[in-house]
Amino acid sequence: MITGTGAGPGGATIGIVTTTVPVAPPRPPLVRPRSGRAIAGVAAGTAVHLRQDPLVVRVAFALLATTGIGIVAYGLLWLTMPVAAPGDEHDAEPPLPGWRPQGARQWIATVVLGLVAASLLGQLTRWTSRDVVLPLVLVGAGLAVIWRQLDTDRTLAVAGTRWTLAGGVLLGGTGLVFLLATTGQLANARNGFAATLVLLTGLLLATAPLWRRLLDSRDEERAARIRSEERAAVAAHLHDSVLQTLALIQRHADDQQSVGRLARSQERELRAWLYDPKVVREGGTWAGLVAGMVADVESDHALVVDHVVVGDAPVDEALAALGAATREALVNVAKHSGVAAADLYTEVTPERVSVFVRDRGAGFDADAVPSDRRGLRDSVTGRITRLGGTALIRSAPGEGTEVELALPRAVVSGQGREHRSEERARSGAPRGSERGAR
Amino acid sequence: MIRVFVVDDHAMVRAGVRAELGDAVDVVGEAPDVPTAVEGIRSTRPDVVLLDVHLPGGGGLGVLEALRAELPDVRWLALSVSDAAEDVIAVIRAGARGYVTKTISGPDLLDAVRRVADGDVVFSPRLAGFVLDAFSAAGAAPAAPVEEATDPGLDLLSAREREVMQLLARGYTYREIGSRLFISVKTVESHASNVLRKLQLSNRNELTRWAATNRLL
Repeated sequence: MITGTGAGPGGATIGIVTTTVPVAPPRPPLVRPRSGRAIAGVAAGTAVHLRQDPLVVRVAFALLATTGIGIVAYGLLWLTMPVAAPGDEHDAEPPLPGWRPQGARQWIATVVLGLVAASLLGQLTRWTSRDVVLPLVLVGAGLAVIWRQLDTDRTLAVAGTRWTLAGGVLLGGTGLVFLLATTGQLANARNGFAATLVLLTGLLLATAPLWRRLLDSRDEERAARIRSEERAAVAAHLHDSVLQTLALIQRHADDQQSVGRLARSQERELRAWLYDPKVVREGGTWAGLVAGMVADVESDHALVVDHVVVGDAPVDEALAALGAATREALVNVAKHSGVAAADLYTEVTPERVSVFVRDRGAGFDADAVPSDRRGLRDSVTGRITRLGGTALIRSAPGEGTEVELALPRAVVSGQGREHRSEERARSGAPRGSERGAR
Repeated sequence: MIRVFVVDDHAMVRAGVRAELGDAVDVVGEAPDVPTAVEGIRSTRPDVVLLDVHLPGGGGLGVLEALRAELPDVRWLALSVSDAAEDVIAVIRAGARGYVTKTISGPDLLDAVRRVADGDVVFSPRLAGFVLDAFSAAGAAPAAPVEEATDPGLDLLSAREREVMQLLARGYTYREIGSRLFISVKTVESHASNVLRKLQLSNRNELTRWAATNRLL
């Protein structure tokens, strides 16, 4: 069974042969590039496909054009060659800026094109009367301008595109009128034109409701599609979050504490998904860090934290340390205060980041700190003062506790403007005087 | 007895609010949507309307806008699960005297209703945070004069108002703020209602839109 897979001696030699021959990369597809076009990108696209210099291909096209074959081939290729997908271009040729030639190569190309045009004109005058040539050229130029504009992805909303289009239409129209006038067909054409106009208007009016309905239904279809996509996205999210939580709640229905915890964490998650700005949700900023930390503390301890964040800043090392100290303060509330709720307020100003953690629990006497409160002293106060910030603890037995942490942004952003870390150390000064110091 | 009208599209919430307020107030009516609410409030003329921000048929904003001019004596207290800053600011600017979330405890809700009925303003910590955010984010450029502004106009908070808002956001009650700042509770209340007035009257465009932008400084 295994030998059947071509592992015999013959297969091996074939393998060697194929590795020695350089494997030719597949030819780039025959597509018109989005940039680097002279007229419609036919020559440039063909050149990429044939792996030739675009200039060579362009000159070839121009020479063929003198016999007429070039023009026909160019037009056919224009119609049949698809436009390259965006970002899928094989040859990053510098785009040709309009008609202005740059460098010797393009001067040559321009001269060749000029010669070709002159010889074409000569041919034309030989075929028909001299009077027809100018109108024909005008019509051709107008058509080329219009096609060139409509062919690109540029929307009509761009003013330049619209003006160029109008110019093309004008050019073509003038050429047409000239053509008709010189061949004496103008009066006839006018009658025919009037008849066609009347017919077209009648047709348009008669079928107006149909057009209207077509347009409406297309809009409706698109709106419905967008709606259903949105609904699918919301349903997917709800399934992953809310439905899972509801299932968990049903299973733990008799465990009141875990039901409460599940409901609260799910509420927080859903709320963040609905209302929080993207930067906050995706982390990396102080507000996101605080929200995540509060969620952690709430799920680990029987504590409900009402947190309010004003302002925001990207998280760096100092802010991460401030976050850790804040978490420690919250955990302390959960462990020692005897209440199940805390308020967390944090404010980011250009000068500093402040954090206030407040509870209405047992409180303690700051002068007679029990040994179990050393954690607060060391891990909160120590951590913050090492960073050049301040930590202030207000508490009295029976009146709850408030921990205030502040970190100058000078430390945070490294702009070294303020270094007044010790200045407002642990005095019991009211907030008013602190603000006034700014 | 304070006469209260409850507008919320969830029967469970209405029943819960009714139960939590208990006998302390007189719940004169309930409504689940905007037209019923407008009609009911018109006919009962309550002292306080507890208004859900999200309602079928136009939202709490619709009720407020329909009746605000017609019934100037009715006080409005927004009650919502929504924490979207735009919604909160919109109902406050439409004339609500306060905003509390539905997770508020029964006694706190009762207290808020009483305060609103007395003509006071109810700032939850979150609303105070929104106010600070709105006025500081939108006024980022002239941040310096905020502190010592003597005549701040409508677009700036005075230093004292800012302090009061910060203490509210930190979870202090009016009474605690008063003793902390050595001012009377009445003064705290007047600061709070000044802030509310500024929030309602300031015509700064950013105020209603600031929350939509990302809040990086």
